[in-house]
Amino acid sequence: MIHGLGGEILWVDMTNGNIEKRPIDEELLNKYLLGAGYLSKVLYDMIPAGTDPLSEKNVLGIATGTLTGSMFPQASRHVVAALSPLTGVWGESHAAGFFGAELKFAGYDAIMFTGASSDPVYLNIEDSKVELIDASHLWSKDVFETDDILRKGHNRKFRTLSIGQAGENLVRFAAVMNDRDRASARSGLGAVMGSKKLKAVAVKGTGKLEVADPKNYLKQMDIFYERMMANPFTPGRVKYGTTSLVELMQHIGRLPSYNMKQGVFDGYSKISGDAINEKYLVKARADYSCLQRCGRYTAVRNGPYAFEGGAPEFETQSSMGSRCGNDNLESVLFGHHLANQYGLDTISLGGTISWAMEAWDEGLLTAEDTGGIDLSWGNAETIVKLTKMIALREGFGDILADGSALAAKQIGRGTDKFVMTVKKQEIAGQEPRAQKSMGLAAVTAARGADHLYAFPVLDEAGFDEDIKKRFGEEYLPEMADRLNPKYKGIMVKECEDFMVMVESVGLCKYGTQMPPEFYYDDIALALKVHNGLNLTGLQLQEIGERIVNLNRLFNARFGITRKDDCLPDRLTNEKAPIGPSAGEVVELDIMLTEYYDVRGWNQETGLPLKETLKRLGLEDI
Amino acid sequence: MTELKFVFGDPVVCSGCMICVNVCSMYYSKVIGPTRSRVRVVRVEPALDFPLFCRNCEDAPCIAACPEGALSRTSKGIVIVNNRKCNGTGACVAACPYNAIHIHPDTGKAIKCIQCGQCVDRCPADALFITTTAELAERDKDGRMMALHEEHKDVLYDKEAEK
Repeated sequence: MIHGLGGEILWVDMTNGNIEKRPIDEELLNKYLLGAGYLSKVLYDMIPAGTDPLSEKNVLGIATGTLTGSMFPQASRHVVAALSPLTGVWGESHAAGFFGAELKFAGYDAIMFTGASSDPVYLNIEDSKVELIDASHLWSKDVFETDDILRKGHNRKFRTLSIGQAGENLVRFAAVMNDRDRASARSGLGAVMGSKKLKAVAVKGTGKLEVADPKNYLKQMDIFYERMMANPFTPGRVKYGTTSLVELMQHIGRLPSYNMKQGVFDGYSKISGDAINEKYLVKARADYSCLQRCGRYTAVRNGPYAFEGGAPEFETQSSMGSRCGNDNLESVLFGHHLANQYGLDTISLGGTISWAMEAWDEGLLTAEDTGGIDLSWGNAETIVKLTKMIALREGFGDILADGSALAAKQIGRGTDKFVMTVKKQEIAGQEPRAQKSMGLAAVTAARGADHLYAFPVLDEAGFDEDIKKRFGEEYLPEMADRLNPKYKGIMVKECEDFMVMVESVGLCKYGTQMPPEFYYDDIALALKVHNGLNLTGLQLQEIGERIVNLNRLFNARFGITRKDDCLPDRLTNEKAPIGPSAGEVVELDIMLTEYYDVRGWNQETGLPLKETLKRLGLEDI
Repeated sequence: MTELKFVFGDPVVCSGCMICVNVCSMYYSKVIGPTRSRVRVVRVEPALDFPLFCRNCEDAPCIAACPEGALSRTSKGIVIVNNRKCNGTGACVAACPYNAIHIHPDTGKAIKCIQCGQCVDRCPADALFITTTAELAERDKDGRMMALHEEHKDVLYDKEAEK
């Protein structure tokens, strides 16, 4: 028996309203864990080639990890996955909060939604009582209103996950939000919820998690706690969250600015972590079981951008700030808040607006296209205005709501030159010419441009000791050098395997990768005391590798090969013009070849070789 | 009488992580589960997180309310539940003005904070402390913490919300 789980999976047929509870498949769990791994397998089995992501044929899963709800540091996370309406390939996104743990306490580890409802509904879970309820009163309400209404209507003990207007309006980068300001933002999965007319999930669980080793549990968790608390990164995380990355990235020329034309931004100090702390930070907030509390709660007290709420994160400072040439911090904070309210991914939002700004700057977009909106670099008012227009698909916002790749296709006139995406998803806040591993990671990530699938930060902040530990001394100094493409294929592969496994047990990348405090053996130990699973570190690595290969097979079904593993021309062919990484390009081909080699993938097609699949027990697929 | 101790938390400092809740249910019940914990954490927007414990009232209405005489105060001033006498009537739950005593769903017995300090030691935000009314008045000189508790009492101590 596996301990410490909810115990059942909910299967909700949105077309006919049937709700089924299925027990955990232990064999499947030993091969894929839960979370990202579980969804990778189930969706692989259920979503055929040619599926329209916004049709009832798409399947949407929300899954917790095996350790979600446990006392392991930062064990708060859940995963949302489906075929992505932004990329047309594998879509997944993760969030912290309290929703995942609450779902466990209600007795469930995951919820799978098939089909589509004709009218708006929400799923209400009160322990064993699970029902779809009419949500017509919630439709067109924003995320905060939805949370307020659901918690007032039932009671405050509920945790909610929902979409805002962006998801309803099928914005291709709409987020799935939970606990008000936590976002499974990437891949446009909010639009999948919208297409199924699923407004929200409300959950209240009064149950318990019975752990495998109750006698030693607290003692073991105390050791993990003490290590996390003693890690030198923890105080900085509490003080700044991720907001001080602006300063750090400016320092190495990795702060995407002006639609990734360059990696430095003159106005960086105005949107920095210190600028936020000085005037706007109200509180550092934690999610369930979190020791590092990187969550920010901020307030702008007056003026046009007045608000208070959970915001921001580095990605937004970059995407709605430097990337758009915008040094108006209040507009960045308010823009993030609005994105939470409407349910939008701030990375694709800022990425799409900055694409339009560059096209405007080049004279390829005019006031005629935008309905009179001025898209000059750094126009804070425009950024805020467009956020709303995109969520509501109003005017020019309707075109932008499909993301920069499709918008460029619609506009034409050579504007595609400025699209900074991989597989149609906007590249996140890592200017890859200043950190080569991030360029490779963006192209190999299953969900399209993404920094988190691999989160290869070992070359970012002097983790030489960890590189030595994980790979061996012979990889130094090249692997630790962010500008050297050498060994980055090996590093990204290792990081991907580890990170997808982390997303399958429900832990945070903070603590496992940045800083790299906990590694395979620690997680194996946690899985033993919490779940009673006897998996070795090596087996966990193999599970990670299996999931990555399965994600690749999923994408192959939708036509992905090596030709799609590419970066915008700007990043591979145009030298970074200024800053500490001036003169650099991403040497993608070298890295990709090394990556395919260590992955055991075909160099031409980029698809897993037969023997690779066999080694991972995927030969039947 | 001001020597009575209780655990208290600063809602501005508390990050809302619920580690105290889990430490408590694991320490006493060997499970993870807020409904098995003697401490609750309630998040109230904007940006407040209230860790809530037995306040060790001088008049202790829970003691008076129990028809079985299962609740008593020890020589150290801690209100404890005698599990042999407790029948889980819930009279103490109804009597508690702070919603700080509950019936454990598995044992059917009342559970409440006994100021053991296990959670205080492990709070990563250092938001918790064991205090007395006098000491708290000293610590909370401007009355900020007490005022926040008072301001949100309808939400914090609402028993209906948990049904």
